[in-house]
Amino acid sequence: MFFATYLRRELRRRMRQAIFVALGLAVGIGLVVTVSAASAGVKKADASVLSSLYGVGTDVTVTGEAPQPGKAPANGKAPKGATQITGGPNGAEICQNGKCENAAGKTISNLAPEYLPIKSAEVADVARLHDVQAAAGGLLLTDNTITFPKNFGSSGGSAPPSPNTVSLEGVDTGNSKLGPLSNASLTSGHSFTAADSGSDVAVVDSGYATSNSLKVGSTITIDSVKFTVIGIVRQPQASSPPDAYIPLKVAQSLKTGPLGVETGDVNTIYVTATSAAAIPTVQHEIARLLPHATVTTAASLANEVTGSLANAAKLVNDLGKWLAVVVLIAAFAVASLLTMSAVARRVGEFGTLKAIGWRTRRIVVQVLGESVAMGVVGAAVGVGLGFAGASIIAKVAPKLPALIPGTGGGGGTFQSQSVNGGPVSRTIGGTPDRTIHVPLHPSITVNVIVLAVLLAVAGGLLAGSFGSWRIAKLRPADALSRVA
Amino acid sequence: MYKLTGVTKLYQKGRRTVPAVRGLDLVIEDGEWLAVQGRTGHGKSTLLNLLGGLDRPTEGTIELDGTDLGALRETQLTRLRAEKIGFIFQTFNLVPTLSAAENVEAALIPLRIGHADRQARVAAALDSVGLADRAGHLPSEMSGGQQQRTAIARALVKEPKVLLADEPTGNLDEDTRDEIIGLLEHLWRERGLTLVLVTHDTSLARQAQRVGVMSKGRLTIKLDNRPAPRPESHTVTAGHDTVP
Repeated sequence: MFFATYLRRELRRRMRQAIFVALGLAVGIGLVVTVSAASAGVKKADASVLSSLYGVGTDVTVTGEAPQPGKAPANGKAPKGATQITGGPNGAEICQNGKCENAAGKTISNLAPEYLPIKSAEVADVARLHDVQAAAGGLLLTDNTITFPKNFGSSGGSAPPSPNTVSLEGVDTGNSKLGPLSNASLTSGHSFTAADSGSDVAVVDSGYATSNSLKVGSTITIDSVKFTVIGIVRQPQASSPPDAYIPLKVAQSLKTGPLGVETGDVNTIYVTATSAAAIPTVQHEIARLLPHATVTTAASLANEVTGSLANAAKLVNDLGKWLAVVVLIAAFAVASLLTMSAVARRVGEFGTLKAIGWRTRRIVVQVLGESVAMGVVGAAVGVGLGFAGASIIAKVAPKLPALIPGTGGGGGTFQSQSVNGGPVSRTIGGTPDRTIHVPLHPSITVNVIVLAVLLAVAGGLLAGSFGSWRIAKLRPADALSRVA
Repeated sequence: MYKLTGVTKLYQKGRRTVPAVRGLDLVIEDGEWLAVQGRTGHGKSTLLNLLGGLDRPTEGTIELDGTDLGALRETQLTRLRAEKIGFIFQTFNLVPTLSAAENVEAALIPLRIGHADRQARVAAALDSVGLADRAGHLPSEMSGGQQQRTAIARALVKEPKVLLADEPTGNLDEDTRDEIIGLLEHLWRERGLTLVLVTHDTSLARQAQRVGVMSKGRLTIKLDNRPAPRPESHTVTAGHDTVP
């Protein structure tokens, strides 16, 4: 009681100095809270990008080797099963396995995997690895359809048409918690069940559904097979989802050209590790097991995300952190100097208290109490400033662009030659680099608030401890002689 | 009872060693009023600091009721000051942010007395110095005399055995000075205190039983009005005069 009264009166007496110290600490704390909030916001944005790229529950993604599409064979002949378009005096011709026909007015479809296949036994090998909790295969395919105009290939005829590309993924219907659909939200219909494994049903992406006016019950044709749409899903913004998902077994049974897959093959494996700490080990083990496959983790993917989001993360982590540290150090230094100065002015008072029997410890506690009280006020104001700073950032910060590298796949196997006979290489399929815009939502956690209060109290304690050190050294006779 | 034997206090001023008190032998009886006079810088306040345990002698011993103050640890000395010794200062030395009652209460804080008991003792102490109606006033709201009365209440509230006063009337006008002298004499008689008082004020010194003069660190007793010792008394009189 006496302690509190004395403390309150003393702080009231040097109100201006107390406010100055508290405000100094508040600015430092406010900056720490704001930077932490911005950092959390950037991390959250980063995580949302990664999780959308990656899928919930997936720690490691394994993709087969990327094919080398569009490369004309050395002998000028197309590989077996490839569709070749040639130009000649009779117009454009479509050739496949040595059989050619006039291309004019024809529609051809070509289904190809985006990555070279991974055998089902290899999926099982991955699943058996010590630190792997679960593994599910997926088959990424691209269906390219080209309809040639009737006058295509003739002199003065139409230019080569662009293919209509539909990306597909065959998903393991028995493992809905792992794989591309684990992160999707269903907007209509229903997702796959284990019973759908052999059915010609599809779940389509909402973007694809909108642009093609699809709804539940509609049908889509892939490689001449009609699939009934049973559900429409929305994937997170940052992801580059396939247009449609079909059961893995059905996807494996489709005719996939020269890079075709065999029964049981996949070209993507989604892996969950037993713990976050085990991810690097899992990555290493899979890379050893499948030396030609590409093994990515969220961390390695994060390194590939560039643009303002990455820059913001760097800015917040480097500049923001150090700015907060510098301001805090300055605030602590000012608080310490002012406390020392206050103690110097109160030497006579402390000497008197020692003379009437106050122990040094009691006086030190009193001074520390005053400093800590200033620190607590600084913390409260600082947290308020931090909230204000975070809300200002949320209001004024533009959406952060993040450049996400493409998949590098390129499963299309169209090979074409120009009408004039010169070879033309064309990459079809794979996903290009793309930029997404992620909103920044700074968030202040309880941990940050606790950290802020602890920092402010530490600042107060630090300032008080300098004063206390001086009090401890104070000899009462000397102190009293300065009053007289 | 204080017993000082061969007490010397030296201070270091740069390269010079300055003796503030030199080879002092002195006995101060319980309940005695000793006034110490002397010119500024001749060791009066140093003597008071030594008696109050605020400073330690360079040589010699100071015993209070048989306890050698020089041999006590700092915490023990602090405890001794808290329990047995009251101080009154020329500049009052009140804590400016605390009211009269809180300043008086501050002297009871080290004794760990319960809140209610503390309040009762504070009220009684303020009443004894005629400041019952000024309990809530800050030092800045009181006159010099009232501040010194508050300081006296602070010194007496813990019911000390010894009261050490350093120029208690030095900062007061004549009327107030007489009031304070009257109050000190009344309290000394009423409570049987041992009162050691450093003063330039001759009228105040005349109230004392013994008057000594400090000169260049040596104490010479100039006046001794103490009653004659009773036959059973074992008073040690060493140091009645300064020892060369």
